[in-house]
Amino acid sequence: MPEKVGFSRVKLVRTGDMPAPPATPSPYVELGVTSPFSFLRGASDAIELTLTALSLGYDAIGIADRNTLAGVVRMHSACEGAGLKSLIGCRLDLTDSPSLLAYPIDREGYGRLSRLLSLGKMRAHKGECELSLEDVANHSDGIAFIAWPTDDLDDFERELPRLCDALTSLRHVAASWLYGGGDSARIERLDRLAKNQGCTILATNDVHYHAPDRRPLQDVVTCIREKVTIATAGYLLNPNGERHLKSPDEMIRLFSRWPHAIAATRQFADLLHFSLNELRYEYPKETVPEDRTPQQHLEHLTWEGAKQRWPGGIPDKVLKQLNDELPLIEKLDFARYFLTVHDIVAFARRLDPPILCQGRGSAANSAVCYCLGITAVDPATSDLLFERFISEERKEPPDIDVDFEHERREEVIQHIYDKYGRDRAGIAATIIHYRPRSAIREVGKVMGLSEDVTAALASTIWGHMEPELEDARANDAGLNLSDPHLRRTVKLAEQLVGMPRHLSQHVGGFILTERPLTETVPIGNGAMDDRTFIEWDKDDIEELGILKIDVLALGMLTCIRKCFDLIEQHHGERFELATVPQEVPEVYDMLCRGDSLGVFQVESRAQMNMLPRLKPRRFYDLVIEVAIVRPGPIQGDMVHPYLKRRGGKEPVTFPCPDPEHGEPDELEKILGRTLGVPIFQEQAMKIALDAARFSSEEANKLRKAMATFRSKGNIAALEEKMVGRMVARGYDRDFAQRCFDQIKGFGEYGFPESHAASFAHLVYVSSWLRWKYPAAFACALLNSQPMGFYAPAQIVRDAKQHGVEVREVDVNLSEWDCTLEDGAMRLGLRQIEGFQRDAAARLEARRPYRTVEELRSRGGVPVHAIQRLAAADAFRSLSLDRRAALWDSRALRQAPDLPLFTYAQEREEGAESEPAKLPVMPLSEHVVNDYQTLRLSLKAHPMGFLREDYARRKFVTAAQLKSIRDGKRLSIAGLVLIRQRPGSAKGVVFITIEDETGVANLVVWPDVFEKQRKIVMGARLMAVQGIVQRDPDSDVIHVVARRLEDHSRMLRHLSDDALPSTLSQGDAAGSWRAPAARHPRDVEIIPKSRDFH
Amino acid sequence: MPNLAIERWAKSASFAPDAPVVLTLEGPHGPIVHAVTKAAAERGARVGARLTDARALDPALTAIPGDPAADGALVERLAQWAGRWSPLVEVDGDPSRLPGTGGLRLDVTGVAHLFGGEPGLVRDIRHRFAKTGLTSRVAIAPTAAAAWALSRHAPCICGPDVAARVAPLHVSALQLDPGIVRTLERLGLKTVAALIGVPRLALARRFRGAEDVVEALDRALGRKPEPLTAIGTDPPPRALLKLEEPATHPEAASQALERLIPAFVRELEDRRLGARRLSLTGYRVDGSVAVASVATAIPSREPRHLQRLLADKAATLNPEFGFDAFALSAEWTEDLGAAQESLVEEPSGTRELARLVDRLTVKLGPRAVQRPQAVESYLPERASGWISALAKTEPVALPSAQRPQRLLDRPEAIDVIYATPEGMPRRFMWRRAIHDIARVEGPERIAPEWWRQPSSARLRDYYRVEDADGRRYWIYREGLIGDGRGGLPAWFIHGLFG
Repeated sequence: MPEKVGFSRVKLVRTGDMPAPPATPSPYVELGVTSPFSFLRGASDAIELTLTALSLGYDAIGIADRNTLAGVVRMHSACEGAGLKSLIGCRLDLTDSPSLLAYPIDREGYGRLSRLLSLGKMRAHKGECELSLEDVANHSDGIAFIAWPTDDLDDFERELPRLCDALTSLRHVAASWLYGGGDSARIERLDRLAKNQGCTILATNDVHYHAPDRRPLQDVVTCIREKVTIATAGYLLNPNGERHLKSPDEMIRLFSRWPHAIAATRQFADLLHFSLNELRYEYPKETVPEDRTPQQHLEHLTWEGAKQRWPGGIPDKVLKQLNDELPLIEKLDFARYFLTVHDIVAFARRLDPPILCQGRGSAANSAVCYCLGITAVDPATSDLLFERFISEERKEPPDIDVDFEHERREEVIQHIYDKYGRDRAGIAATIIHYRPRSAIREVGKVMGLSEDVTAALASTIWGHMEPELEDARANDAGLNLSDPHLRRTVKLAEQLVGMPRHLSQHVGGFILTERPLTETVPIGNGAMDDRTFIEWDKDDIEELGILKIDVLALGMLTCIRKCFDLIEQHHGERFELATVPQEVPEVYDMLCRGDSLGVFQVESRAQMNMLPRLKPRRFYDLVIEVAIVRPGPIQGDMVHPYLKRRGGKEPVTFPCPDPEHGEPDELEKILGRTLGVPIFQEQAMKIALDAARFSSEEANKLRKAMATFRSKGNIAALEEKMVGRMVARGYDRDFAQRCFDQIKGFGEYGFPESHAASFAHLVYVSSWLRWKYPAAFACALLNSQPMGFYAPAQIVRDAKQHGVEVREVDVNLSEWDCTLEDGAMRLGLRQIEGFQRDAAARLEARRPYRTVEELRSRGGVPVHAIQRLAAADAFRSLSLDRRAALWDSRALRQAPDLPLFTYAQEREEGAESEPAKLPVMPLSEHVVNDYQTLRLSLKAHPMGFLREDYARRKFVTAAQLKSIRDGKRLSIAGLVLIRQRPGSAKGVVFITIEDETGVANLVVWPDVFEKQRKIVMGARLMAVQGIVQRDPDSDVIHVVARRLEDHSRMLRHLSDDALPSTLSQGDAAGSWRAPAARHPRDVEIIPKSRDFH
Repeated sequence: MPNLAIERWAKSASFAPDAPVVLTLEGPHGPIVHAVTKAAAERGARVGARLTDARALDPALTAIPGDPAADGALVERLAQWAGRWSPLVEVDGDPSRLPGTGGLRLDVTGVAHLFGGEPGLVRDIRHRFAKTGLTSRVAIAPTAAAAWALSRHAPCICGPDVAARVAPLHVSALQLDPGIVRTLERLGLKTVAALIGVPRLALARRFRGAEDVVEALDRALGRKPEPLTAIGTDPPPRALLKLEEPATHPEAASQALERLIPAFVRELEDRRLGARRLSLTGYRVDGSVAVASVATAIPSREPRHLQRLLADKAATLNPEFGFDAFALSAEWTEDLGAAQESLVEEPSGTRELARLVDRLTVKLGPRAVQRPQAVESYLPERASGWISALAKTEPVALPSAQRPQRLLDRPEAIDVIYATPEGMPRRFMWRRAIHDIARVEGPERIAPEWWRQPSSARLRDYYRVEDADGRRYWIYREGLIGDGRGGLPAWFIHGLFG
């Protein structure tokens, strides 16, 4: 599964072309600033605001979003980068009085403000905040306030004394030049009101965007917020575009009659001494025993762990690495962080049964993490760079992400809450940004475009990378992109992309603190009960150097653990992730055949095709295998060069710059491990830095341009820069271009090496299990559904092909989970659609049963559950087939669970005098019903019933494909399993079809696709005429489709044969098909394919 | 009527008949296809599928939101219309909820001979539906349930041998829940015949309550009665006048109107309705009709008012060979309680205005009579517009800033002396007269409406100014120096205060 990196944070870094911050403090400071984190109000992000402030000559700028501190870290970071002072505050919109701007004076004040907001948020629904003036008064120490006048000044005149009474420190009233016609009078009146209360007015421009030309976007977000179109928004919009950041001089001019209002801003700002840098992070203390320092404890645990990992002695290489890592950890003071993660992992392992877990990401670079049991990539056999994990230059805490079994992650989360308390542990937020699609949809709605047009715009303009495609596709959709209204819409959507839309809960990023978390950041309610989350996302947390642990869920871990358990139960051997025998050649043999259904990561069609070509023979090959079938390497055209070099058909060379420009081996360091071909994300970025001499700021820009928005101009400029510079330094243009294309492909899906290594470990473990214990592995896979790529039917078929005997679901023999019976697999009750777990528990308790009736009377199984069992044909051990069991079960009546009632009804209804004669269910219909109730059938494959017919028409089976020579024409038919149309394949569609002998892979080229789209996308049963294509190196067989036919109707015959075929012998009404008004669900005989388009 | 929704849409739409159009309804996971044109069906669109799935098959599908409420209303109207074949008509199913279920049930007992027997009746029904552009499937059977089944599965005229006709049908013809149908299929009971073959007791025991299969079977086979409940008709208020002799003189209509109005108004009073659209229909002896229709601005049942509205139009009705009957009816009514405006009969403003509007509309046509309507726009010249005087009005907010009482039709250019760049105006010349500005307030800055004006449009700074004589003006400066949208800003006068 690709990692969605999303919008990587752009960091503002000072460069030469930025103006220097003013030497003397500016006479005016803007305090009323609304950023996009007052959701759907502000229209300029922190960097835009900061850069504008810098160029206008400000030395400091405030931020005051509505009832939130969600945007302050970005403002802080941008100001740090630009050399400005950020004033952190927020605007409090209260339920019972005019709004206030609240700026903490010091750390304590900040803590109180954060607590206040947490209070308001915990009271309200997700995303809202309820606060009264009294609440504010109770938290007002150390906070400076500015009263914000309401539109109606009469009102405000009444309210101001109340505000001043409640907040004794209140000394300021905000005044803005609104350009509303009566500004002088209004400000004059405010001035008078303020003076009467012993306050002074304070100038602000109520800033909502950084520059006047952002007004359209501001209007659009207002419309989105108010759910109106721009044409009907009327007075909801601002009459003018004056809510931008104005220069101090301009503000002084506007307030020339009230110079004290300008002076007040400066004085107010000078009073504030708080900076987010003061939020010194303190790690929780309970992870360390009293008598040791954290470092001592960490070293102790590390060496203990090392001894366990290598009972025969620690390898020299590891010894050396540990001796490098530990001092660095000490120097950077990260020991507590490691201990905290270790504590959580140790908890999961301590449970009975233990929860399987494994660190992913860059932690795999660390030997300490391996010794602590956090990661499972053996540093003795791999050589990943510790510097990628922690480095002295980057003053950031390391990022340790740990995957847990997906079914049991909640236990870990609750443990964290229990151990550290809800006031010290919280889940990070994820900021949901406008993405191209959502942006164009919302802007289109506001601009009055129909849903159809916006949908067309969304899919055409941003669906594809190639610009020439865009215009063509837009034309196809009947859109004229030169229309000014459409152009404007697109431009606004571009501006909206990347703006925050709302806060959501991170999948599992926990932050833990020593002092109460509410004093560091406001905490609010999540949509899920029992979940609270903080206002900051992972980038914010990282920015402030706060520890975060990702507690993630991974289905494959559940599967592996279940498999280990089954092996222990039936084979008496206990394995762990780290104790699975390594580098077993037969496992690699299996993978080289592309025989990897169910294996972690490498089970997709593309991966399965790559395996025989890459021919993995050792662990590192798997690392590459995981990373290479990704948009990046594919678009960068790096796959073939790598394969050629691996196969020895091309010499391994390293592109090098002109000798006068640098060392000839500058890329050898980066690309040595991958035979001179960049495969991992960091390699490509490193090339930009080293070979194209990008500054780190330029590299960031590059990353952002790729990740956020594919605006043509921007990308072209960067492309020119990177390729141009590499060429100038003596690199081959083609190579440079491909490197850039690769970065382009990484866009949103990045795969760094250490991450690939962690995943590769699971690839190996799951492959080993599949090879050594196919029955247990299939069993565990089924018991961990839903997960992975394949449906139960394919897992079962694959297991059968590997010699596993599979037995059907049965009321007397099956448990809830699939089980092993002397090496054979017994399907579990969980396979029955709609069957509940508690019904299974009741069923299992009172076994065995001899009649259907006993299930209800003795077992207490609910009647509807019995009927599901019957429909699933689970009564064979009672010598009842599906139909008979269903007939019997229908006669049962759900009664209150008391014997009296049961007997009473029995007597009332009496026995049936004559047994009904039901027709015998044909096998084909059994199979169809099996699919409907179990999503698989052990009796036969649906294609088996049609084979005779197809064989007569000279169709081949999937199994026969293997013996057909390259280039031969043939016909083949099968059920469609998966349709894929990857973005990187330029419109080619890959279809996997299945018949009773196996699967076949189809390739549909765009021209065929366009002609037969309906069949390609719609058919359940497909007949194909095509040409066999064999890859000589890998034995991968494709059928290149020439012509397709939709044979889905053949499936109907499997169950409808008992029906008379024509019913329409009425009058002259014409002929039309019989049950026309049936729900489409009923027609679904075979479960739908999985489609990706 | 299997294709009701799409056919109703096709009649009103401007699409080519072979356009691949689907009508959609909002489902929990995005739009669901509700009805399809033939072309769309050929391209794979199926009713009940999700629009995204249909689009995957053919991205060129045009999706238009369906309107099940209007479909339902059409069926209701058709039910009224079907009264021509039978006095007992019932709407079957709920087309506004389930697409494709719209149907009508007619009790045609003893009716068929009027249309030349049952085949003639069926032919007539199908022919007339076809003329309205609707596909119909017609079946006649001794029981309603059997007719339902046959019309959907095998349209025919079924004699007394119901069982024989229905037996070969699939069990879904019995109007059973899809879940039951599936269970029956699993039991091998796929046809009605198979169901008949099962002992009743065994069947009754296995399908009870809401799932009662035996009852469904009985209804179809006529073992259990299923009476029709004909739709309630709520006829529009109507007064009828039959003449003994055909009237051929030109005033006949006007005279008839005079005689009809009291009865008509009485009916409106009884039903507490006021007419908003009413028409006088003259039935001529040769079977043709002449109609005069008018609409009112507010619901009314005031006799003199209605009389005056219709009088002119009534006079134009041409008797030709003579009218033998007149009807006065209200096609559109609104609730109107008993109201007394004042103790003594004084003219009330709103009512008098409404009556004036009505009279003018009758005389000048609805397009010619309009009423000002506020529009939410900051731009003064856009802040008011005109709507038809008879249209419904929505209350609209007014701008908070002060506006002059009089706005010039179009701003007039003036020369102004002011402190550049953005200073207050000092003196201006308008229509060759020089005004020294004594007092000034402003500016009120109004930016162009960027979504409809070209990007070269400039903002305006409005000032309220008072000259030395105390006269007040509303002037504005268009543009700012250096706004990049033209040269020096120009000044205009746009309105006069009091």
